[in-house]
Amino acid sequence: MGQTLREIFKLFSRKNLDSGETVAPVILWPGPRCNPGRKSGSLPVRQAGRSNGRPGRGVGPLVLGLAGMVFLSTGFFSCKPAEKKIKIALAMPLTGDIASLGQGLKRAVTLAIEEANKNHLTPQPLELVVFDDRSDPREAVSVANRIASDRHVVAVIGHFNSGCSIPASRVYAQAGLAMLTPASSNPELTLQQLSPQWVYPKSIFRANTTDNVQGAFGADFVSSTLKLNRVAIIHDKSAYGQGVAEEFKKQFELNKGVVTAFEGLQVQDRDFRSLLTRVKATQPQALYFGGMFSEGGILVRQLRDIGFKGPFVTCEANYDPAFLKVAGEAAEGAYVTFLGSPPELLPTAQEFIVRYRERYPTDELKSYDAYGYETGNIIIDAIKTVGTDRAKIIEHLRGIKFTGVLGTTSFDEKGDTLNKAITLFQVKKGAFVHL
Amino acid sequence: MKIFHRPSWSNLLLGLLIVFSILFPPFLLNSDYSYVLQLLVTVGLYMILAMGLNLVVGFLGLLDLGFMAFYAIGAYSMALLSCAGFGFWATLGLSVLLTMGFRLLLGAPVLRLRGDYLAIVTLGFGEITRIVLNNWDSLTQGPKGISLLTHPDVVPITFFGFHISNNLNFYYLTLFFVFVCATLSLRLKYSRIGRAWMAIREDEMAARLTGIQITRMKLIGFVISAGFAGIAGGIFARSQNFVTPESFTFWESVMLVAMVVIGGMGSVGGVLLGAAIVILVPEMLRSLLGSGFVSWRYFLFGLALVLIALYRPQGLWPNRRKIVELE
Amino acid sequence: MSIFNTLIEQLINGLTLGAIYALVALGYTMVYGILLMINFAHSEIFMMGAFVGCAVLTLCGALPAPLAMGLAVVGAMIVCGLAALGVEKLAYAPLRKASRLAPLISAIGVSIVLQNGFFLWRDDFLGFPNVIPERHFYFGPLHFSLIQLIILFSSLILMLGLWLFVNHTRFGQAIRACSQDREAAGLMGIPVNAMISLTFFIGASLGAAGGILYSLYYGSIKYNMGFVPGIKAFTAAVLGGIGNIPGAMVGGLILGMAESLGAAFLPQASWKDVFAFGILILVLVIRPSGLLGERTAEKV
Repeated sequence: MGQTLREIFKLFSRKNLDSGETVAPVILWPGPRCNPGRKSGSLPVRQAGRSNGRPGRGVGPLVLGLAGMVFLSTGFFSCKPAEKKIKIALAMPLTGDIASLGQGLKRAVTLAIEEANKNHLTPQPLELVVFDDRSDPREAVSVANRIASDRHVVAVIGHFNSGCSIPASRVYAQAGLAMLTPASSNPELTLQQLSPQWVYPKSIFRANTTDNVQGAFGADFVSSTLKLNRVAIIHDKSAYGQGVAEEFKKQFELNKGVVTAFEGLQVQDRDFRSLLTRVKATQPQALYFGGMFSEGGILVRQLRDIGFKGPFVTCEANYDPAFLKVAGEAAEGAYVTFLGSPPELLPTAQEFIVRYRERYPTDELKSYDAYGYETGNIIIDAIKTVGTDRAKIIEHLRGIKFTGVLGTTSFDEKGDTLNKAITLFQVKKGAFVHL
Repeated sequence: MKIFHRPSWSNLLLGLLIVFSILFPPFLLNSDYSYVLQLLVTVGLYMILAMGLNLVVGFLGLLDLGFMAFYAIGAYSMALLSCAGFGFWATLGLSVLLTMGFRLLLGAPVLRLRGDYLAIVTLGFGEITRIVLNNWDSLTQGPKGISLLTHPDVVPITFFGFHISNNLNFYYLTLFFVFVCATLSLRLKYSRIGRAWMAIREDEMAARLTGIQITRMKLIGFVISAGFAGIAGGIFARSQNFVTPESFTFWESVMLVAMVVIGGMGSVGGVLLGAAIVILVPEMLRSLLGSGFVSWRYFLFGLALVLIALYRPQGLWPNRRKIVELE
Repeated sequence: MSIFNTLIEQLINGLTLGAIYALVALGYTMVYGILLMINFAHSEIFMMGAFVGCAVLTLCGALPAPLAMGLAVVGAMIVCGLAALGVEKLAYAPLRKASRLAPLISAIGVSIVLQNGFFLWRDDFLGFPNVIPERHFYFGPLHFSLIQLIILFSSLILMLGLWLFVNHTRFGQAIRACSQDREAAGLMGIPVNAMISLTFFIGASLGAAGGILYSLYYGSIKYNMGFVPGIKAFTAAVLGGIGNIPGAMVGGLILGMAESLGAAFLPQASWKDVFAFGILILVLVIRPSGLLGERTAEKV
């Protein structure tokens, strides 16, 4: 070991003490020169580079690379801000695992903006600029910086994952840009604005409910409506799924229920039979799942496969046609909670559904599309009322009272929606039916 | 310090690039392009990571598919220690030591594996690290991640009384460490250890016969490379102010390998170029494609990877020794 | 339910999962055996197999189920085999003399292209036609569903077929010769390139069959479905000793079991992958070239 350390120390000295040869001087770049210390090196290397009269080989690729970079960097500067347009930015996962939800939100917001432009609701036409964060926090921050530095952007709708929203929200807050998320449900996202360390404007708003509201609602439903007191909980080990599941557990235990199992599964896994067999052995009367439809659908399918007959209760991310498609007949009877007034009952929501189908005849309405449309319209309303000043929009959102597809939205001091109405759906004959 | 050891085109260009990278960024602040600063911080972090991986993949010739694990360990040690109230510089040192310690623990038993067996073990360790971070809720807060910004005990980063807070400050911090790591890489490359590594890469049996202690040399490479990841992880945690296991997936490890190979294995300059390309190309495609084709970005990026591999299999800026050997 | 019954049930779950891993692992191991390259795009071939199978089953909805199934499997195997051939010719063959990691990057690129290509076409789940009726069989304490039996049976047949092909035909002999020493095999008059193509074709068609069985079992397909089983299958291949065909089968089964038992008996089920990878690392530390891998001299 001592010898090893000596070797490492030697790196920082100019002389290689053992052999007396000089190690190359501090080189910041491997230029086209031969290494003076190579004479006694162990590799048989032919001299090349400058010694045979050619300019160094290193230059070719370097110049090529630099030229390439300059060419590509025109990409950065090519999107000149369009004149006389108000930009609203949308940051969503448009590729990657949950891209289909991001794509759905994109369609819904686009629809809202197109309608606003058709009806000339704003002094200048609105433009939606769309960014992809791949559900990757690093990309989310990069996107956020890009959005914040474009002075024509007046507000942001996004992001989807809480893991992306939290780091990105700071960038927006620093730039005094309103951020309204239609989907991130981690309480920390808006709660951080109340911390004394928060020196930025309170510009973060959330149109969906937080984990605690929905989890607790599910728990109350199971204990008082279904009158069951043994429940197993499974979540998907994501910030969202685990958050909802923990809140469910807390409330259910308050209601004197017994949580027989609390287990996580791995997102993108497809085999939950072992987990379910294990959970079933704890003899629960019902199963609660916190997570996305991508796992929820398969989970309920395998749950029925191993012969569990009790109720399956889950959260709003499963209110999606893909849940029904993936689960097939197994979905029958499953309960799904959803934030806001049931789209079937509100007249505005009826219109939204019809218009969405007209505009996108081949696409399905995804679980968060109603939220997307709502957030789009809230931002449009703000621009209509107070213009394009970023600070004024934040101010307006703070006191907004907006009635749309989800019911009436206004925000509390954190920026969370006060519309905490939760509705319950049950799958009947392959469709979500409002209870 | 003889930077211009022998003036030549590449050194001149390099000098210009360095001067440019120091003098230009302040102009970006408060402009329409201020996001480029943050992007450059990311590029810098990946350059450090890629240089670290280059020690293993490029110099030693061992494939490592789980390098992100050490980035994660660096980032989490920084986050946890910062929340415990340690100062930035002390924590950075500690995170580097911690990552190196973990690498030592992992490396010692598995280094005798050869070729792709080692690759899969590193992959396994990378996955294990991510799952542990995601499941050990009491320590890492699991999938919710650790938020530094609102934590009361986090000490601001100071450098001789100067506060490092905005993207520009972080840019210089990262740039400084890119220089440190590049210098270290090059010193290593031309040192006794570096030559031993390359001898191992070319022919392990012959290297052993010349008296090189294979396992020890491999272990040194492994441990130092983890130190690089520790630095990058530490800066990442403080510049994002938020760490979650989502940032350290297997895919990121694969992209790191791509950076090293695209740039040119074993060539420090090449690896820097590779990191810049892999980070910047999708980012540039973002603006070139506009809102209508955002989803095409990664399709085109994949195509670019294939084309680079086909037309520059030795890397865009290959290691000189490699070229000479191939001739 | 007694612990014994749970154990049996979990073993059957693991066996089914392991059989699919084994099928996919064969593709990795065969390509590795002959080219010494990790074919990252294999997981996308697996995904493609599922999509082709889904398309065929939807088109042949009117046919009786076993016939439609057969058509789907054969169709997917052929289409994916050809696709893998194309990928090999375009993206890997030109790199045969380059450093070992260049084809790896090319494969990563192909994988991204294929995955995003399918993504651009269909960004969400597709339901996989449910052609297997729900039926259960009981053999004493053992309980299988029909689909589990079909998966076990068909992977057994495919693996047996592969074993016969590799060990008892001239083509198989040629492939083995190539994987031992490509140059020498070429000098003996074996058309090496054709054998490499054949290897890709076989590996890919087994992967495609695995893809169909996998999606039958789980009922839905998606453009990124190949990623997780791809990693697991590759792990299985290494566990058994990469380049070794029986090794891939054994590795797949062991990995499937490890996961299943991990999910069943660890204090928290979400640690199951830690358990699976832990076993892998342990095995490799004890036997550095996998369970059935040959101990070769250290010449990299």
